[in-house]
Amino acid sequence: MEALVTQIQGLSGTASDVLSLQNLLKQADDSLHAESTRLPPFLDQLDPSKHSLGYLYFLEACTAGPVTQEQASSFLLTIARFISSCVAEQIRLAPDKFICVCKRFKDQVLLLEEPLRGVAPMLTAIRKLQLSSEHLTALHPEFLLLCLLSKCYKTALSILEEDIFEVDQPRDLFLFCYYGGMISIGQKQFRKALELLHNVVTAPMSTVNAIAVEAFKKYILVSLIHHGQFPTNLPKYASSGAQRNLKNLCQPYVELASSYSNGKIADLETYVEANKDKFESDNNLGLVKQAVSSMYKRNIQRLTQTYLTLSLQDIANRVQLNSPKEAEMHVLQMIKDGEIYATINQKDGMVRFLEDPEQYKTCEMIERIDSSIQRLMTVSKKLNVMDELMSCDPLYLAKAGRERQRFDFDDFDNVPQRYNI
Amino acid sequence: MASSSSSGLTFKLHPLVIVNISDHYTRVKSQMNPPPPTSATSNSNNSNGGENNQSPPRVYGCVIGVQRGRTVEIFNSFELLYDPSTHSLDRSFLEKKQELYKKVFPNFYVLGWYSTGNDAEESDMHIHKALMDVNESPVYVLLNPAINHAQKDLPVTIYESELHVIDGIPQLIFVRSSYTIETVEAERISVDHVAHLKPSGGSAATQLAAQLTGIHSAIKMLNSRIRVLHQYLVGMQKGDLPCENALLRQVSSLLRRLPATESEKFQDDFLTEYNDTLLVTYLATFTNCSSTMNDLVDKFNTAYDRHSRRGGRTAFI
Repeated sequence: MEALVTQIQGLSGTASDVLSLQNLLKQADDSLHAESTRLPPFLDQLDPSKHSLGYLYFLEACTAGPVTQEQASSFLLTIARFISSCVAEQIRLAPDKFICVCKRFKDQVLLLEEPLRGVAPMLTAIRKLQLSSEHLTALHPEFLLLCLLSKCYKTALSILEEDIFEVDQPRDLFLFCYYGGMISIGQKQFRKALELLHNVVTAPMSTVNAIAVEAFKKYILVSLIHHGQFPTNLPKYASSGAQRNLKNLCQPYVELASSYSNGKIADLETYVEANKDKFESDNNLGLVKQAVSSMYKRNIQRLTQTYLTLSLQDIANRVQLNSPKEAEMHVLQMIKDGEIYATINQKDGMVRFLEDPEQYKTCEMIERIDSSIQRLMTVSKKLNVMDELMSCDPLYLAKAGRERQRFDFDDFDNVPQRYNI
Repeated sequence: MASSSSSGLTFKLHPLVIVNISDHYTRVKSQMNPPPPTSATSNSNNSNGGENNQSPPRVYGCVIGVQRGRTVEIFNSFELLYDPSTHSLDRSFLEKKQELYKKVFPNFYVLGWYSTGNDAEESDMHIHKALMDVNESPVYVLLNPAINHAQKDLPVTIYESELHVIDGIPQLIFVRSSYTIETVEAERISVDHVAHLKPSGGSAATQLAAQLTGIHSAIKMLNSRIRVLHQYLVGMQKGDLPCENALLRQVSSLLRRLPATESEKFQDDFLTEYNDTLLVTYLATFTNCSSTMNDLVDKFNTAYDRHSRRGGRTAFI
């Protein structure tokens, strides 16, 4: 054991040394696990910022066994200190051990019921494990879970802003997008939530999984809140399993969506009352109530398309609100959120609906469009690369080749294939 | 090698020859990568094929055409095998090819030979002398395959051989001759096509791209010149450079010639039009991206979705 420690201390200098150290550690792994109880004092001899790899192996072996209550908080401190001071290149050599340690860290934090303690260390851990900001690791969903449980949504937003292009495990993506969707709903950023939940629902899956089902329920509700409608068919890039089965599994929500589209608030409310316990058991009752209240907004928006001016009393009547005061509150809120453009004349209680004042003549608009074009071009390049990869994929070539016409039209006719639509 | 010939011959070169040589070279060069095995069945026509892959290969061939009086018109060319051991071109092959070409083009004679490279070399004189029994004064067409964007003219040089007395010894050396390019209608069309080679056809697209490239290079040049002026003026201001009033007067007169429309209406219209163009570009990029995405999704579905519809045969009428 001491020999191992001295070896770690000696070989943590250059990159090639670290590689040979890694081989040594792999061989010594079982012996480490066997003596896990004796290990804690050795941890003090190692410096996490210089001997990260060795420290990681020792730490992983230490935390492997069952941990008692007193040991738990001291372990939390050790692990947190390790995460903040370790060297990224060294731990990337043993990513699964690192993920293991972090997951145990998260379990401990949850056992102690102090998820807030785990948020910052987990964020540092993600940044160190990621190969680039487009890489999704197994730690991302754990981090989001901690953020959700500790209700600090703002820290999670920075992680959610990044575009993801590489994923280690599909389950990570599902969980990440699902939790991310929930956090965005908590922050009332419904567009982002819709995007993330859409990713879960349309991700490739050979069989429908529970995460997708839960995400689909929230997806229906959020799309009702944000768009006022729910597209009945999933887009064609959703897996066929999802397309056929998801709707059957979320029947009450689909019916909620169809009654929403009728536009009658009273019907909607009766339906919600009737199925209240189902919504409640899914923890979605809050969302459902938000969906019902968004119905008013939808109706007011529909009014802007028909009328130029309307009195508050009329609005209240048409939207089935109780009084002009409530109508004024709703309209005011919508103007503030930027959902409609209107002016309220308080003297005679008239609301005048205006056009979108954006003239598209400003330099800021130029910069916005320019940055969007740049983003699109990078996405397009990545898509082209993926398209080429896919065209060379043997599975695809096998199936595409099989579907060719048996008899080539060219064999029989001199005229080239101009009639193939 | 002297720089100008004194024979008084006028050379006319057809683009077909240039395209042929360039094609020959490109083919050989691309067949060289990855490094070919050391077996003798290498496809390259030249000597350097198996040895060094860094230096570009040299290709050899013959040019044929018509000589009427003092005008030499080079119409066509064909490839020849180069024998590295004897440093000469394969003679029997040359004669066979010559006969074949005679049947199709009875007027054409072998006028000389071509090769690729930077400059004419000494070993080329051997080949040149060997060809002298076919044609008393062959021409040597040299194509430089290195792509130099700064160079404005074609990297093709025509050499003649002349007997000069150097150090008391009469020697044959290469002298450069000038030439003009002569085109037949068919050649003009094909050269036009090759020059504007684009992955997606459409004459409108190529014209637009050509115009935009022209504008782009013009603006780039303007930008670099303004930068030079700016640096000069900054230097003058700092005192590093002597103050020249004549130059300052010229610069200020140039600046006063700039467009003076600073009115608000101009700004408005300008920004609106700018935004409109940007929006159209955005839409175009969007459509392009969506189309790629669509293809990708289709391919993904065919490859990985187990229950996708079988038999997507398109029905022909």
